[in-house]
Amino acid sequence: MAQATPSTPQIVPVKGMGPGFIPVTIVMTIINVAVALAVCYLPLDFLLPSESNPASDSAVSIDWLFKFMTVFGVAITVYVSGYVAYFAWVFRRRPDEDINTVGVPIHDAPKLEFWWTVLPTILLIILMALTIVAWKQIQFPTTAAALTTEVVAHQFYFEFRYPGMQGAVYSPKGEMHLPEGKPVKILVSSGEGDVIHQFWVPEFRLKIAAVPGMVTQLNLTPTRLGRYDITCSEYCGKNHSIMQAKLVVDTPADFDKWLAQARVTAAASGPAISLSGGVADTGKALFAQKCSACHSVAGGFDTKIVGPGLLHITDDPAHPKLVDGKAPTPEDIEEILVKGYVGPIGAMPNRQANGLSDADIANLVAYLVSLK
Amino acid sequence: MDVAAHPVEEHAAHDHIHPAPEGFIAKYVFSLDHKVIAMQYFVLGLLLMLIAGSFAELMRVQLWNPAGTFVQYQTFNQLFTMHGTVMVWLVLIPLVTGSLGNMVMPLQIGARDVAFPWLNMLSFWLIPVAALTLFASLLFPTGAPAAGWTEYPPISIQEGTGTVFYTLAIIIVGISSTLTGLNFLVTIFKMRAPGMTWTRMPLFTWATFATALINLFATVALSAALLALFLATAFNVPFFDPARGGSPVLYQHMFWFYSHPAVYIFILPAFGVISDVLPTFARKTIFGYKMIAFSSLAIAILGFTVWAHHMFPSGIAPWLQIPFMILTYIIGIPTGIKIFSWMATVWGGRIHFSTSMMYALAFIGTFSFGGITGVYLACVPVDLHEHGSYFVVAHFHYVVAGGAVTAFFAGFYYWFPKATGRLLSEKMGHLSFWLFMIGLTGTFMPMHWLGLEGMPRRYASYEVFAKAFPDAVFWNRVETASSFLMVLSVLFVAINIVVSLRSGRRAGNNPWGARTLEWMISSPAPYYNFKKIPIVLDKPYDFTQPLPYRNLDDPNQDPYPKPIEAVIPRRAPVAT
Amino acid sequence: MAVAATPGTAAYLDRIAVEERFRDVDPVYAETRDIRMFGFVLFLLADCILFSSFVFAYLYLRTSAPVWPPIVDGHQIERLDVAFGAMNSIVLFGSGVTMHFALESWKHLNKLAFNMWLVLTILLGAGFLGGQAHEYLSAPMNYTSSVFGASFFTLTGLHGFHVFCGVVFLTVLGIQANRGVYTGSKYFGLIAGTLYWHFVDVIWVALFFLFYLW
Repeated sequence: MAQATPSTPQIVPVKGMGPGFIPVTIVMTIINVAVALAVCYLPLDFLLPSESNPASDSAVSIDWLFKFMTVFGVAITVYVSGYVAYFAWVFRRRPDEDINTVGVPIHDAPKLEFWWTVLPTILLIILMALTIVAWKQIQFPTTAAALTTEVVAHQFYFEFRYPGMQGAVYSPKGEMHLPEGKPVKILVSSGEGDVIHQFWVPEFRLKIAAVPGMVTQLNLTPTRLGRYDITCSEYCGKNHSIMQAKLVVDTPADFDKWLAQARVTAAASGPAISLSGGVADTGKALFAQKCSACHSVAGGFDTKIVGPGLLHITDDPAHPKLVDGKAPTPEDIEEILVKGYVGPIGAMPNRQANGLSDADIANLVAYLVSLK
Repeated sequence: MDVAAHPVEEHAAHDHIHPAPEGFIAKYVFSLDHKVIAMQYFVLGLLLMLIAGSFAELMRVQLWNPAGTFVQYQTFNQLFTMHGTVMVWLVLIPLVTGSLGNMVMPLQIGARDVAFPWLNMLSFWLIPVAALTLFASLLFPTGAPAAGWTEYPPISIQEGTGTVFYTLAIIIVGISSTLTGLNFLVTIFKMRAPGMTWTRMPLFTWATFATALINLFATVALSAALLALFLATAFNVPFFDPARGGSPVLYQHMFWFYSHPAVYIFILPAFGVISDVLPTFARKTIFGYKMIAFSSLAIAILGFTVWAHHMFPSGIAPWLQIPFMILTYIIGIPTGIKIFSWMATVWGGRIHFSTSMMYALAFIGTFSFGGITGVYLACVPVDLHEHGSYFVVAHFHYVVAGGAVTAFFAGFYYWFPKATGRLLSEKMGHLSFWLFMIGLTGTFMPMHWLGLEGMPRRYASYEVFAKAFPDAVFWNRVETASSFLMVLSVLFVAINIVVSLRSGRRAGNNPWGARTLEWMISSPAPYYNFKKIPIVLDKPYDFTQPLPYRNLDDPNQDPYPKPIEAVIPRRAPVAT
Repeated sequence: MAVAATPGTAAYLDRIAVEERFRDVDPVYAETRDIRMFGFVLFLLADCILFSSFVFAYLYLRTSAPVWPPIVDGHQIERLDVAFGAMNSIVLFGSGVTMHFALESWKHLNKLAFNMWLVLTILLGAGFLGGQAHEYLSAPMNYTSSVFGASFFTLTGLHGFHVFCGVVFLTVLGIQANRGVYTGSKYFGLIAGTLYWHFVDVIWVALFFLFYLW
């Protein structure tokens, strides 16, 4: 290759920060301030669903954090891209320049480096503090839940249950209803032998995974009446993309009406399990397989593994009286086995999650009643 | 016992030159030469990139309509699984660490080859084996794996056959990647030319060093996770089965412990490329050499401590969320230092707008944007909303396509002359650059607000979402249309390569006037790189001083870089 | 030589050259050995991570289990037989000691002792594998019924595989040594073999603690 005579490198000096630095900075700052004001004061419904009229209490704090990050995120993006583009253009090599012009040989500026390390750090510390406050509100609500509901995710539908020791509502594939303005706790789990799903309501800004073998929970207060989409946001198999349901936020009065109606329907439709054919020995084997990881039969209520001990359950002075202050009857035991339990003692999965057939339940009841 | 007399040799080991191999097989197929292996990685990577890209295009066509009927749901699931798997493990890792790392790193430190050339060859040949293993799943009626590239159990165990092939293939990739990491670490530690102290290493080598650490240590953990998944799928071992005491969340911990650092396997070499390309085309020393070098190392180490930020809504204990969030925020600081240092490098330079520089400049913008959306996702409450939505898809495509792939192209246009001795067409280079950038923005930018509005990822049909957010159809069509621009751009790159190899201009030793060691020898680099091992006297990237190297084999070696004009296209903004 | 030379100066480079020339071993061999040793140590570190991952899995599962050992079919799994495990451990650790002596004998150019110690090491290694086989056959659980079995069989299986590879490795080294591949000053293969064998021992210490003692 033909070789030009090498010339001495010629440094092209720069005056100040370079031509037009201040106007460019001012323009970018104006853009950033405008964006910040828009983010703070205009409704962001085009970005976040129902931002101007939040549907849950957590949506408020999450949106606030989102806006905080957007203000600074947009500013950083604009400054970085803007300066890179501006520097690249203003310091471009001119066509008539000498072959060997080189840039200003600056390889350090300790003061500048100090500040661009410290400022982002401070910003991140502020963000950290804000996040922790919001996180605490969302994860550890101070008000006790007025209602506890349960979501059981299956391939490929959600099942909603309204448990409680004295009459539960079981609404498979139906709509989920929540009362407006009441703090609710939603316990999320995955069906027996099922896969991971996620329960997501975009308007609530909350999601939680339904993990097999675990009960996860969401705490929130719905703040706006309406119908929302519940969607599964963790890939769960072939029909993942049609795994949706509706969530209806009612007024408390409407909700109570709906719940009463649903209870009646559930009571009418659920055929009772015949307990008469239960075989205690079969129940014992099944208990060892399915229940013994959490329940001991070596002692009474206080002999806890995960759940309470079940020795002489029908006649255990330490055992809480479940129904009307009386000792549990076989039917009460059946109900817990069918519907699961969520309450002060802990949480136990329902029959779907435990994979119990009618006969299994009858056998288990027979076995538990036989323990003296 | 016989004790042989020590054969006394006058020269040190590194002066020992073997003859170049003869014959096609030894030269081009089972070659031990790091430069040939690099090109093998490149060809394979580009081919698989086009295949995996076509999977993405099939998905985009399906999403043209909310109730897409182009493919069936299960096919769609297989498409996104294969797209992710192939892109992450069979495209990015081979291209970024395999191809660029192998081509450039030994040249930059003044070595004749990597420490274990045979192992290097093995690392490469494991990749096609892994690719064949993965695609072999298509021979079975259940077809390709369809549980997402993360293959969370239990869904992956439910999928069965596909998962077995997936795990086997990726374990093979893992072994290959681990061996590469080991090889590079030993090379960088032990085979630097005399005088090449740690603070005189070019920044690409620094980045490769940090990457090799991750390659070596994290990839083994991935192999362990996948081995456990393989055992669970094929032999019913209950690691992840809650009914028998296992936990599906355990897999996520094991998987992300690797796969978060894996992100840095792509992005750290990208940082290195940018740190090498910017000074050359800005004709100016890199700003903050030490800060950039050490921040690579800091990122590599911190990368091991943040994995659970992928799992905030996955049922981990709430108290675990905060430390992982804080550690993730901390990673933002070294990353920010790098970005600001690059900005300062551009400041006050004499910028040459070569294709490589265009990609490098664009990288600063796209990558910092992708990084900022990463901060959103690290913030626990906001992540509770964004997790599993298109926002995540947008974020990691900005980091991977806008970061790693963009930087890869910067490096590709930069080092192609060194690899082949020919220059690429700058005109076509600029065309492919603009197509790629427009395509990137059009495809991934709208995903941000689609995700925020509530569009979950991995949906073959978004009918319900489109009812709640009617604009979704419009934006999805924008994305589909734009995505084809990126394919076009990659095709242009392929055409550019073919044209250049047939009739490209000769590059000469140092077409860009760069100041790192690889440019001081002829192009393409000779079989043994350096006839005499060079001696390094000073830092790289100093454009105002004579060359900081001695002992170079080229008698016509210029004390100053050659004029850069030879390669500036006529129509480029600075053309004369 | 004692003069501190600034890197990059001619004095520094001269010093490097002098050091190169006066190395007491063949410089080509010295450099190759350095490189291989470093690579081998890195390989062992990476291997360590493989075990650590499964140990992490085991700790995770164990700490989240309600009772340990877990209950299968209504019966709590019996704990493993510590006495037998301890005996088997002693066999393995003993092989570590004999391997040490084998390498020392080689360094002192005593080939007969080397062969004796190496054969003893290989036999002890094989004996350990036999013990493990017995342990597997008489184990109170299988690998599908509970996470205890799963972790135990996976981790000890992985370790057993390493021991098996080690036995093969040492056998090959023995053959090579007797064919004259190694000399009194060039015996990197033997060092690597010894390191590997000690590594396998150290891993077993952790596994023995995790599965038998804890």
